[in-house]
Amino acid sequence: MVDVAILVSVGRHPASGQARRAPSDARALELAFGLPPGRRDALHAGDPTNPALRDYLGMGLERLTVLAMAEGRDPTDALAARLRGLSPGIILTGNQAEGGEDSGMLPYVVAQALGLAIVPDVVAIALDAEGRTAEVVQALARGQRRALRVELPFVATVHPAAPAARPSAFGPARRGRIEVVPVDAPPDAFLTACAARPWRDRPKRLSVGAAGGGTGGALERLRAATEAKAGQGRVLVEPSPDEAARAIWDYLQEQGMQPR
Amino acid sequence: MTARRRDPRAERTARIVQTEPRRRLVLDPDAIAASSGGRPRRDPRARRADATLQTAPRLRLDWTGKGTGAAVSMSAPGRGQRAAPAAPPLRVIENPACLIFAALDRPDGALSAHDRQLLAAARLLADAVDGAVVAVAPDGADDWGALGADRVIPLPAAWAAEYAPERRAAALVAAIARWSPLHVLFPESPEGGDLARRVAAACGERLFAGVESLSASRVARRAGGGATELSCAPSRFLSIAADAVAPLGAVRHEARRLDPPETSPDAPKLREARRLPVDPDGVGLGEADFILSAGNGVTDWVVFADLGRALGATRAGSRVVCDAGHLPRDRQVGASGTVVSARCYLAFGIAGAPQHLQGVGGVERVVAVNTDLHAAMIKRADLAIIADAQAVMPALLRLAGEGGHG
Ligand SMILES: Cc1cc2nc3c(=O)[nH]c(=O)nc-3n(C[C@H](O)[C@H](O)[C@H](O)COP(=O)(O)OP(=O)(O)OC[C@H]3O[C@@H](n4cnc5c(N)ncnc54)[C@H](O)[C@@H]3O)c2cc1C
Ligand SMILES: Nc1ncnc2c1ncn2[C@@H]1O[C@H](COP(=O)(O)O)[C@@H](O)[C@H]1O
Repeated sequence: MVDVAILVSVGRHPASGQARRAPSDARALELAFGLPPGRRDALHAGDPTNPALRDYLGMGLERLTVLAMAEGRDPTDALAARLRGLSPGIILTGNQAEGGEDSGMLPYVVAQALGLAIVPDVVAIALDAEGRTAEVVQALARGQRRALRVELPFVATVHPAAPAARPSAFGPARRGRIEVVPVDAPPDAFLTACAARPWRDRPKRLSVGAAGGGTGGALERLRAATEAKAGQGRVLVEPSPDEAARAIWDYLQEQGMQPR
Repeated sequence: MTARRRDPRAERTARIVQTEPRRRLVLDPDAIAASSGGRPRRDPRARRADATLQTAPRLRLDWTGKGTGAAVSMSAPGRGQRAAPAAPPLRVIENPACLIFAALDRPDGALSAHDRQLLAAARLLADAVDGAVVAVAPDGADDWGALGADRVIPLPAAWAAEYAPERRAAALVAAIARWSPLHVLFPESPEGGDLARRVAAACGERLFAGVESLSASRVARRAGGGATELSCAPSRFLSIAADAVAPLGAVRHEARRLDPPETSPDAPKLREARRLPVDPDGVGLGEADFILSAGNGVTDWVVFADLGRALGATRAGSRVVCDAGHLPRDRQVGASGTVVSARCYLAFGIAGAPQHLQGVGGVERVVAVNTDLHAAMIKRADLAIIADAQAVMPALLRLAGEGGHG
């Protein structure tokens, strides 16, 4: 038994720009469904009439609390205050929002405000028998995983490699309740100081022959573009299978691909 | 490559030692060699010889003047001697106007390409305001001066290998409190990005995360689900996306060591971190580190699967193999499959069609086993073995089973 709070935001479809459930927040909710049943509070700070919020209810959530605030307000204080009142054992969030500032700072600010530990990039959480500590699995680069132990309460941000979220069903989405709590939030001065414009892709920076890349020049770039990369070709012709296997094995060890 | 154009008149005047009572000239040619003036004369043949990189299989010339050592030795002595690239002069910034921190990752105890880019970004911001770049990183044997750091705050070397984000953040917060840098830069990598957010949250400031373009007066990043570009003057905390800044060329800085700040050893809340063994076949092909790949030359699929398991390699194949249903479609390497970026690619019986080679363009090391010496894959390989895959695979499997003691 553990009380879980899930912070959900509204995402944006990359192609159509439609509001949708944010994928990593939906995964956070999915992770929450997998934990032993306790109280489950889903929180959103923003516009309570946004239809995308119903997608979360459609995943089987009965109630979603929305701290109603206007566009462009800073949701961190309101969310932290609300969470302080709920004092959940685990706070689950996505690791980066989609459609807002997308800085991934919010979970860290909330954790700092509440004085909690934060575990980034979580893909699985297993509670121990007393529900005092949790064994958490993190996703690392190149498909690697790391396990660690953390005491409750803590904040966890969920990685996109976490188990996929269940689809949203229409019936539960209709039936679920959205509880609106109007809050006062200060305008976000940092964001209003930034200039915004549509994103335009930039030319990719070439790593060969770039200024400062040491060796350089157009010749290098031409070479990189036209010539197939050639290895430094050590060739063994017709070795016995054992010789061949030994050569491969030694090479793999040299490259650190196999334990010595 | 250029010879002095002779100016006989000037040479003659230079040889004059006496005009009264009659003119006398020195006849020793060495005495006058140095003084002959005139315009430099081009010697196109020598220039061409210097620029020649190779003559077989076809002629290649490099007119950039950065020819190889071989080309220099070919040229006639005394002519076209190129100066070896001089070591850049040491730059000392004694009284910096401000400090720019670069909090480097050093994953697994070695500086990554991203770390170098971060130092270049810090250099750019520092040079605009006469500041000094301070590298904050787990200690190591790196030549910090050549990387562009004016100061170094070494953190314990052991932190590079272990997972200690809380201690790293505490050390950085203490360093920021002590030296109050103008900017603090982080790499936007999994570890570096986490550290950046921890430090920014602890300092109560905002992070401008994942900077995609950077100049001294403006930083820009992607937001709004990738649809908008936010830009502003560089804020105090910045994290720099990979490949957003070109790394520095040859520089030499002072890299003076500063004493790391004292931090109170709080008990870390994240404990007992350890790597978990992963099923190599569960890893997506694009992010796999070690790939065992099969082509049309492989017929023994049982041994192939066993070998993948024994080596801990992610299995993949060429298109022919996936078309035949020996491997699922998401395991196809190549232009119409996945472009892989593994460190090591072990290919059995793959011919190396252009469409396949495109997929392995980013691979560091290729080992190829093929019966055909003239296969393109053999040319691409760092270790090539001309043998029957069906014979080598079981031998390698046996060796892996014995842990290399055969
Ligand atoms: C539009 C298009 C897209 C394509 N995209 C891809 C792609 O994404 N990926 C891809 O892989 N291909 C792709 N192809 C196909 C590609 O052109 C080649 O047909 C394919 O890569 C060949 O696969 P292979 O090397 O396994 O087979 P083969 O060409 O049949 O080569 C087999 C090799 O195995 C060797 N061999 C035979 N017997 C043995 C043995 N006993 N031991 C060791 N070696 C042996 C042979 O010498 C030969 O070199 C594409 C083609 C097209 C037209
Ligand atoms: N307005 C919001 N209401 C609730 N949760 C949010 C809100 N904005 C962000 N979050 C959560 O914080 C995570 C990171 O957001 P961000 O810091 O904006 O990238 C998201 O994945 C959400 O889980």
